[in-house]
Amino acid sequence: MPSETRSFAIQGRSDVVVAGSQGRRFAVRHGLDVRRATELAIVVSELASNIVKHGVRGEIRLIWSPETPPHGEIAVEAHDVGPPIHDLQLAMTDGYDDRGPIDPALILRRGGLGTGLGAIARLADRLEVREEAGGKVLTARFLLR
Amino acid sequence: MSESEDPHVVVTSERLQSVIEALSYASVDEFESCLSLLERSGELRDEFSELETAFSIFVRELGEAKSELNRTLAQQEAINRELEAKLETIEVQQAAIRELSTPIIEVWASVLCLPVVGIVDSQRSAEMTETLLETIVSKQARMAIVDITGIDVMDTKTADHFIKMARAVRLLGAECIISGINPGIAQTLTHIGVDLTGIRTLRSLRDALQLYLRETEQLVVHQHSQLARKLSSET
Ligand SMILES: Nc1ncnc2c1ncn2[C@@H]1O[C@H](COP(=O)(O)OP(=O)(O)OP(=O)(O)O)[C@@H](O)[C@H]1O
Ligand SMILES: [Mg+2]
Repeated sequence: MPSETRSFAIQGRSDVVVAGSQGRRFAVRHGLDVRRATELAIVVSELASNIVKHGVRGEIRLIWSPETPPHGEIAVEAHDVGPPIHDLQLAMTDGYDDRGPIDPALILRRGGLGTGLGAIARLADRLEVREEAGGKVLTARFLLR
Repeated sequence: MSESEDPHVVVTSERLQSVIEALSYASVDEFESCLSLLERSGELRDEFSELETAFSIFVRELGEAKSELNRTLAQQEAINRELEAKLETIEVQQAAIRELSTPIIEVWASVLCLPVVGIVDSQRSAEMTETLLETIVSKQARMAIVDITGIDVMDTKTADHFIKMARAVRLLGAECIISGINPGIAQTLTHIGVDLTGIRTLRSLRDALQLYLRETEQLVVHQHSQLARKLSSET
């Protein structure tokens, strides 16, 4: 079984929708059940909408690695050129951005509840962030069970 | 041009004039007229005619280079136009997607319906809330039906937010029905222990619409009978 990678450039809202629905197909094709595949699609959608909202522009990469124990893994990588996430632990907290709690009065105006990274942490098996030249990568991993 | 020969070249002012004229043609990109002038005066074979020939070769090459450049420029311009048209299409599509992601339909006077399909992430659920609440106010709606038949998975926080949206609708004085909750979502909701009291949920959009019809019908019947009673008491 060969590994497989697919990439999607993310710049605007329509790219988020495309990446999400392609993510679900990719996941089903590599053996996730429909429910988990939809969860992966939500994660793709959260990561992609964060690229649009906070990361300027970037790319979503879906990577299928059949060798990862026990039964293979799908990694969702979100590369972007935006500023680093100041404190990932804080940012992952529902209702927080990367520096502290979000003022509820601002939620509608800033266009988000601050629960995106929290959702990713709940739905994926793991979430990591690392710096790379000219930007950063967030990786959400889904293990096949 | 050997050493022994006369170093001077005699040229009639007429030939010189015609070369100058040819060059002035070249300077305004009239390469054809320029070349025909140079060729005409190049009939005599002397040293000056060599210069004229060299000129005409130079001008011909210049002409070709110019037209090549113009061709490329025209191509580039066509590409740019195409690119602009594409960007426009993308913008239109993005607007369409934004609208499609929260398509609020006024199914009846003062009854709104928000069918939710596709992938619901946190940003979309925030947008839906915003749009639904705004539309309820602007259309003075009495009822909002949020149909989530098409959704089988949601993050717990997103699901929680949906319920909060329903409560916010009630705060605005309208009723909110959530229809089409499937087993997966029901599990999510009970898992986080959301309080569903005061929130009407129905199996399908059809049930929700029927409920509305029944209620308005009762209202109309009630009003009719009241009116009838009033009329009969007056007579
Ligand atoms: N790609 C990114 N680049 C820079 N900062 C980011 C990125 N993704 C997230 N963040 C930071 O982490 C915070 C939390 O992100 P999260 O996705 O949880 O919330 P949100 O995007 O603000 O709102 P929501 O996802 O609920 O619509 C953001 O407010 C932002 O400060
Ligand atoms: Mg987000």
